[in-house]
Amino acid sequence: MDTGDKVWEVFVQKKGGQPFKHAGSCHGYDKKMAIQNARDLYTRRGEGRALWVVPADAIVSVPFDEEDAYFDPGDDKVYRHATFYKIPDGVNYL
Amino acid sequence: MKISIEKSEARFLLRLADTSTILGQRLAEMCSRGPILEEDIALSNISLDLFGRAEELYKLICTIENASYSPDDLVFRRNEREYFNLKLVEQPNDDFAWVIARQFMHDIYAKAVFSQLVNSKNSELAGLAAKVLKEIKYSYIHSKDWMERLGLGTEESNTRLQRAVDHLMKYVEEIFMFDAVDQENLADCALIHTTWENDFNQTLAACNLVRKPVMPLTMRDYRDGFHSEHLGTMLSVMQYLPRAYPDAKW
Repeated sequence: MDTGDKVWEVFVQKKGGQPFKHAGSCHGYDKKMAIQNARDLYTRRGEGRALWVVPADAIVSVPFDEEDAYFDPGDDKVYRHATFYKIPDGVNYL
Repeated sequence: MKISIEKSEARFLLRLADTSTILGQRLAEMCSRGPILEEDIALSNISLDLFGRAEELYKLICTIENASYSPDDLVFRRNEREYFNLKLVEQPNDDFAWVIARQFMHDIYAKAVFSQLVNSKNSELAGLAAKVLKEIKYSYIHSKDWMERLGLGTEESNTRLQRAVDHLMKYVEEIFMFDAVDQENLADCALIHTTWENDFNQTLAACNLVRKPVMPLTMRDYRDGFHSEHLGTMLSVMQYLPRAYPDAKW
């Protein structure tokens, strides 16, 4: 059995077929405790029918202090959006 | 207030309802005292399930007895000797191991009882039992899981859980001393006992715990309103507000 407290990220699916959404985090010593704790913290009021827990350290995120380098260059390049095309008549779904 | 409950079915349901109320109250006492935040909330959730279950059972009792009293009267205006909960569930929260052992012993019992009530001739009771059974199954998963964690955890956790089991075993025997009221309202009392014994013994063995023989006791039956020393003080806290301020509204 795993020992040591860990943080887990919790994802809840409202109904079958819908995406899992991040709901928050919880503590747990192992998978079993984590999923039970997540159930008690995040699905008490009918929030969902399915649950994922993922060890928080398994999630890779952009370092906070490199936020500018990662995301700012995308801010002023409107031409990267496909909004400069003329949509031909008769195309209903684009 | 004189509350009389005559019919066999109502008397039987009162035992289940009182057991739910008192265990719910014990778990409510754990609110803000759980070992970790998540477990604190888990215990509160189970407590709320128990109160909800008790309220529905009290409503059924009021209907069966065509009563002038309400579920609130049943909870707040009866004395110790008019309560019919298992002595097991009034035992205090000495430490977390006690909470878990008590819960597990209750859950295997409640699971066996409500599994039979699902087939009750009283359709309202059968419907309630089906709903309740889902709650109990989760509570059972939770308490059994902690039995394993504590039993197989450290020497300290095993010792504490063993101590809790040793104490609580005293209050197990009476659960299965079924009387006529139980026999009339349960399809198979003997099955409840054997199911309990099997599950309990298997779990103890799997969790590195031992079942010690219990000395013969002179305690009298909870079915006649007899209790351990703990229920009176519990009720005095639980009932203080409505007793002191009978017209209080919230």
